[in-house]
Amino acid sequence: MSIGSMLGDILKSFFKKPATEKYPFERYEPSQNLRGKLVYNPEKCSGCQLCIKDCPADAIELLVVDKANKRFVMRYHTDRCTFCGQCIESCRFECLNMTGEQWELASLKKEPFEVYYGRDEDIQFLLDRAAQPGTGEPCGGEGEGA
Amino acid sequence: MDLEPNKKFVVPIGPQHPALKEPGHFEFAVDGEIVTGATVRLGFVHRGIEKSAESRTYVQNLYLMERVCGICSHVHGTAFTIGVEHLAGVTVPPRANAIRVLVAELERIHSHMLWLGVAAHEGGFDTLFMYSWRDREKVMDILEEISGNRVHYSANVIGGVKFDISEEQRGKILSSLDFLEERTRHYLKVVNEDETFLGRTVGVGIMTREQAESLGAVGPTARASGVERDIRVDAPYAGYEQFPVRMITDTRGDLHARFVVRIEELFEAYRVIREILDHMPEGELTARVPRRIPAGETISRVEAPRGELLYYIKSNGTDMPERVKVRTPSLCNWGSITSVAVGHKLADMPMLLVGIDPCFSCNDRTITIKSAGVDLGWTWEDLRQHGIEAYR
Amino acid sequence: MNNISLPPLVALLVFPGGLFLMALGLAYEYIDRKLVARFQNRLGPRWFQPLADLVKLLAKEEIIPDGVHRGLFIILPVIAVAGALTAALYTPLAGFMPAYSFPGDLVVTLYLLSVMTLSMGLAGANTADRFSLIGATRTLTQLFSYEAPFLLALLGPAIAAGSWQISTINLYAENNRWMIFTQPVGFIVAIIGLMGKLELPPFDAPEAETEIVAGALTEYSGRGYALFRLGKDIELVIGLTLVSAFYLGGLANPLEFLLKTLALLLVVAALQSLFARLRIDQTVGLWWRAGAILGLVQLAVIIAGSSWLRPLLFK
Repeated sequence: MSIGSMLGDILKSFFKKPATEKYPFERYEPSQNLRGKLVYNPEKCSGCQLCIKDCPADAIELLVVDKANKRFVMRYHTDRCTFCGQCIESCRFECLNMTGEQWELASLKKEPFEVYYGRDEDIQFLLDRAAQPGTGEPCGGEGEGA
Repeated sequence: MDLEPNKKFVVPIGPQHPALKEPGHFEFAVDGEIVTGATVRLGFVHRGIEKSAESRTYVQNLYLMERVCGICSHVHGTAFTIGVEHLAGVTVPPRANAIRVLVAELERIHSHMLWLGVAAHEGGFDTLFMYSWRDREKVMDILEEISGNRVHYSANVIGGVKFDISEEQRGKILSSLDFLEERTRHYLKVVNEDETFLGRTVGVGIMTREQAESLGAVGPTARASGVERDIRVDAPYAGYEQFPVRMITDTRGDLHARFVVRIEELFEAYRVIREILDHMPEGELTARVPRRIPAGETISRVEAPRGELLYYIKSNGTDMPERVKVRTPSLCNWGSITSVAVGHKLADMPMLLVGIDPCFSCNDRTITIKSAGVDLGWTWEDLRQHGIEAYR
Repeated sequence: MNNISLPPLVALLVFPGGLFLMALGLAYEYIDRKLVARFQNRLGPRWFQPLADLVKLLAKEEIIPDGVHRGLFIILPVIAVAGALTAALYTPLAGFMPAYSFPGDLVVTLYLLSVMTLSMGLAGANTADRFSLIGATRTLTQLFSYEAPFLLALLGPAIAAGSWQISTINLYAENNRWMIFTQPVGFIVAIIGLMGKLELPPFDAPEAETEIVAGALTEYSGRGYALFRLGKDIELVIGLTLVSAFYLGGLANPLEFLLKTLALLLVVAALQSLFARLRIDQTVGLWWRAGAILGLVQLAVIIAGSSWLRPLLFK
């Protein structure tokens, strides 16, 4: 039985720096294993689309430019992604990874939430086609493409 | 104001109230400061998770189920995977089981420390609240270090776990545990000795063993009343057979006993985690599980931080479940509030509410009652009409 | 103690009443919040936060709920602040002579300070809200429980000084041994009484947010709420001034005023962060069982000492 059993804590804290993180001013250094933004390496991709089948949030789409020559573009919706990492588990060719550096993904605009991965010329090809009048939805249908 | 003398003076708490972090509605009839009656109304955050599970594959459902609860996400995932693995007849490698237990116990630490802070806050002891949440950051950091996420760790995949524990991570966990253990010892001392805090907890909300058993209480709430009920001990799952835990019980059944039981469980969690890290079985992390799960039905039970969590899964042989039924521990414990509230002071109600560590969003789900062949369920049109009538 | 003579209007509106007191109240609220935050290992608010809160509240729409007496609803916050501001005129603020002083002003000051609590209780009882009603009951219950011990604790120095005039007691305190050493029990009762008066934790049952939202002031918003908060800040300053003038060796100059009141605030902030909230029945029990009896014992000792012992010892 005692009164004020946290006296030691409050006296210590009075002379200590506050534990509060001053986040926007001092950036928090996350763990190396942090599951941040998804990155996709098209070099090894076989186009099996298992990652898309398993994604619980419909966050990734694979746009096929040329299946025979293995030219794929991945459209990744960071706003839908729940960062569960299932796509990485599902991929047998290790094309997918999550970065520990990019995790401040908030934005006031909608555009930064749509990220394209793939060879530059493939992305350009798809975007150009989307820009043409009459094609409607950019880059073809749901993950299927040309 | 209604000044009729015979009318009860009802104090509503919720759906929006500073004491509640989630929506629920409680009505306490009071006579001065003394509570004379209590009712609970739930269902403000029904999300239709069970129905949406029926149109997702098992792999996708794993992540859906993790999101039933934000605090105990891992146990939901574990309960679901254990059920699916049982249906598929897959044996999970021992190392994966050990890691599942490890993450489950880390989650228990983070959940209990969160509860300690919230309960202290309800009792107006904000200093304890701030300190316990500050120290809880340590366990969140461990979880981020090993899994990559602070809240929804997604440690499970169907058939195993996603990540291994490296030697470097082991060191980090152990050093954080030493810090946490020392702090927990301090909090136990505060909870046991601080005169003002004891004044708010000792003898408040006493639930006898008989009451706990007849109300079907689960988890630390039941164990604080002397009911020996812990799935980790009664029906060991995952790695609990290899790394057994000791059941913590108390016979007093009041709020103070619930504090003591939960804090003692923290020490047990530290011990189990150390044992797992010292005797980690070697081997694979995952076993192969087919995408189509053979037809059948199963029940899996795990011990969530709040008590027994039950999953019922029915498979029809496709890659999507036919039915998933979840029963979360909070649902079992509501009865304990309404039955012991009467006779207490209004000031004790928030602490009594929090004493069971309620998780409102987890337990909100609808049921269809079929009586004598008549379907008492509501159609979409009935619901629409009800909505119009109720909020007119 | 320094004496300054100011035109009455300046004394009322600028210094020591009015603007100066409001600014000081906001500053002390900031220091109190910052100290509690640091005791809890938090960062705490920035220096302008209390002012920003006040400006925001003043700028907001004041909603007058159904079922209240409109006039009372509007006038009560004004009375609360007016009471607190008037009380300041009799206290040695910033170490200067009180602006107004007459024999027996201690009693008047204490009652002016209670006007604030009374207004809050009435404000709660005026509305039909259930949280407000319970808050009002608790506020008034608490008023009845802390008032007597607090008064007894402040009477100790008054009897020792042989005067009921605040400035005389202050002068006596300056020239004699600090009364925190001669009357330690009275000091403890006074400081806890002050916390009860200001409804600071652990005596914040009347506004316990986890039970009854904001207590008696639940229905207040905008201007009315801003005024009540301001009144409370002013009371904090006056309370600290009184207790440090009586028990901490008087307030002779502004520097002494700052040092002594801030030291007292440090203690008050530490006490705020040390305890769990007391239920209202526990508060009442504590005050009447412990506070009042301790205060009475202290008073009896002082009276006995001054009437019998002193003639015996110093013939």
